[in-house]
Amino acid sequence: MADSAPKLLVDGKRIDGRALDELRPIKIVARVLNDAEGSAYIEWGKNKILAGVYGPSECIPKHDQSLYRSIIKFRYNMAPFSGLEEHGKSGPSRRSRELSKVLKEAFENIIISESFPKTQIEIYVEVLQSDGGTRCAALTAAAVALADAGIPMKDLPCAVAICKIDGHMAIDPGKEEDNYGESDMPVAFAMRNGDILLFQMDGMLTHEELVQGLQMAKKAAEKIHKIQIDAIRKVYDEPKEERLLLIK
Amino acid sequence: MPGELISEREEHISYAYVEKGKTYSTVVGLYSNGKIVPLEGPYDPLAEDTVVGVITEIKFAGYSVDINYAFPAFLSNRESKEKLALGDAIIAKVLSVNEVKDVELFEAKRLPAGSLVRVSPVKVPRIIGKRNSMIDMLQSSTGCQIFVGRNGYVWISGKGNDILAEKALRIIEVQAHTQGLTDRVAAFLREHR
Repeated sequence: MADSAPKLLVDGKRIDGRALDELRPIKIVARVLNDAEGSAYIEWGKNKILAGVYGPSECIPKHDQSLYRSIIKFRYNMAPFSGLEEHGKSGPSRRSRELSKVLKEAFENIIISESFPKTQIEIYVEVLQSDGGTRCAALTAAAVALADAGIPMKDLPCAVAICKIDGHMAIDPGKEEDNYGESDMPVAFAMRNGDILLFQMDGMLTHEELVQGLQMAKKAAEKIHKIQIDAIRKVYDEPKEERLLLIK
Repeated sequence: MPGELISEREEHISYAYVEKGKTYSTVVGLYSNGKIVPLEGPYDPLAEDTVVGVITEIKFAGYSVDINYAFPAFLSNRESKEKLALGDAIIAKVLSVNEVKDVELFEAKRLPAGSLVRVSPVKVPRIIGKRNSMIDMLQSSTGCQIFVGRNGYVWISGKGNDILAEKALRIIEVQAHTQGLTDRVAAFLREHR
């Protein structure tokens, strides 16, 4: 693969013309599904992701039930038409199992599940179109959907990835930067105190690079958090009787 | 917003939590006078609540009642004077809620024929209004009898304009957080009567 790798940095600009610390354009719409308790749709660069929250409802199967808290179930799925080549492979796979697990664990730390004993809260995330960084976008959208459902949470988390391309640290890698870059590191933050809820890493980084990357991510996360809050606010500023998702 | 700082001190209010001596919100809501009013959320059963429910199962000792919660509530034979059938709508009060939120009902009354409308449980105070102002207006201008349960179930019965009543309820639901709502609903009802 390395021989066909494109030049990722030209004159300090990235492959899609962004600066190193620049996010792709993000657009979030909350409350888009009629039947879900809460829902959100996110467009993050070329990623298009739909998140829906159902519950709390009776936990099935019963042996999963807890008398002390609500069980959180997370399903991350990529639509069969969501991406090119291997990237958007659909169906239950090792990759989607892994993502469902790490995202579920991120939310288990945030949702105040003790208020709903014996129940389950289901979170469904469907990736309609993918272009790198779907787990971060999925977590960001799922957080908005949960807030829209009114499920008590300690925080409104959001996530962003950090990468190393051509020896420079950058945030929010696209698909090419993810595939041909030297390192990729998605991080999710709880914004009230900077807790890290999700942390994964591919490739190699030095300690200094890691610290520098985290600082860049924290700054970007603040911007994403603002977009999340604006999306929720818009539901109440412009109340609509029909929930409709319009994709241009 | 969830995780938003409400107070630098430790305060025990509902829909908030305390961490390291500071108080944060847990829901999307409006904060004023030391109280959080949530804008969305599931029904959280509480003793003494008046709820509207539907009989879903007849058991030896009583009935199972759907009250818009994850689990059906239980209504004992002792607490219901009339014999109820499957699918009957009732209005009842919550007798008790235990640690795992099993709900028991009492003072059940069967409701006359009508239709069930589900609204967001946190919007119920707005539907009732100050000293029943909103619900009185709805009843008088649509000619329906309306029973509102704290659980977000609303039962519309009677020979009035039930379609108009349901439309008005939807308006109240989506605009519950705005001011001057009673006037707007009154105008809507006048226009469509």
